[in-house]
Amino acid sequence: MTYNPKAAFNAIEAGFEITGRAFTVSRETIADFALGSLDFNPLHFDDNYMDGDFGKTQFDGVIMHGMQNFAVITRTLTDWLLERGGYHRRLETRWLTPVYLGDTITPKATVQRKLETDGSRWVVFDIEVVNQKGVMVARGDAMAEFADVFPGAPA
Amino acid sequence: MTVLKLEEYENDFWKDVDNRKTWDQIIPGELRDTKPVTLTAEVIAQFARLIGDDNPLYHDEAFARTTPYGGIIAPPSIHIVLMFACTGIEDWMRSPGTINCGQSWSYNIPARPGDTLTMRGTALDKFIKKDRLFAIHENAFTNQLDQVICTGRGWTIRPV
Repeated sequence: MTYNPKAAFNAIEAGFEITGRAFTVSRETIADFALGSLDFNPLHFDDNYMDGDFGKTQFDGVIMHGMQNFAVITRTLTDWLLERGGYHRRLETRWLTPVYLGDTITPKATVQRKLETDGSRWVVFDIEVVNQKGVMVARGDAMAEFADVFPGAPA
Repeated sequence: MTVLKLEEYENDFWKDVDNRKTWDQIIPGELRDTKPVTLTAEVIAQFARLIGDDNPLYHDEAFARTTPYGGIIAPPSIHIVLMFACTGIEDWMRSPGTINCGQSWSYNIPARPGDTLTMRGTALDKFIKKDRLFAIHENAFTNQLDQVICTGRGWTIRPV
């Protein structure tokens, strides 16, 4: 794999959209994510618990781990950046609405702007995750760097 | 040195629930108790598979060597598991009913197989908004050379 971050950066245009693979939530994906993350919060497993009262917040059943959104966004960005020599520098997202069993979520990253600083090259992305009904479940932004020296590369 | 093995962690968050700090007891700025863990190639591949990330960068050394990373790395999102792996059963992020509202993370250099990662974690702030009890936690992970892997913060609603 040839590493030419300057050429890759120059080829990126604002407005370009990267749509990630869809992800469908099931009890199996939740169980896998729980073991992977060690997050065994009953919000994700216990149907009886989810019938209860959470004060001002109510749910219609067990919910996907919020951080599963992070995982599908990271997958989308890394898959795209890897072949271009970009480094995933930052991700910020808010969860807007819960994701339930049977829902299918799709992440999308849109190039918002490019910026060159004294020392490097940066791409800022708008991030959205939508469910099968077109409802946005997570929103945020991300940043990638196209540096001359790849961050943390072995000496 | 504790080598991270996912199957060895307690999976019942109700256990010892009364020993965890409630929102009232959380003191912003106070350090959470943490212990370092060491990553193996096996647990990196397992983590990536379980969160649904099949990029060969995380399990195929021959492929990973052809990339600018020069070898297998952990997914950037490895901090998801590290927060629970580096804290004990009494840590308040395990309180049942903790609702995650969003997170922001900055990635410095990747974690690699063999790295021993140390977590520094605090509550940065706590507040009440629309009758909900919020806490903001802030975590930093460093490797055995004291290099920063990643830093981030999360917004959670605390159970009443």
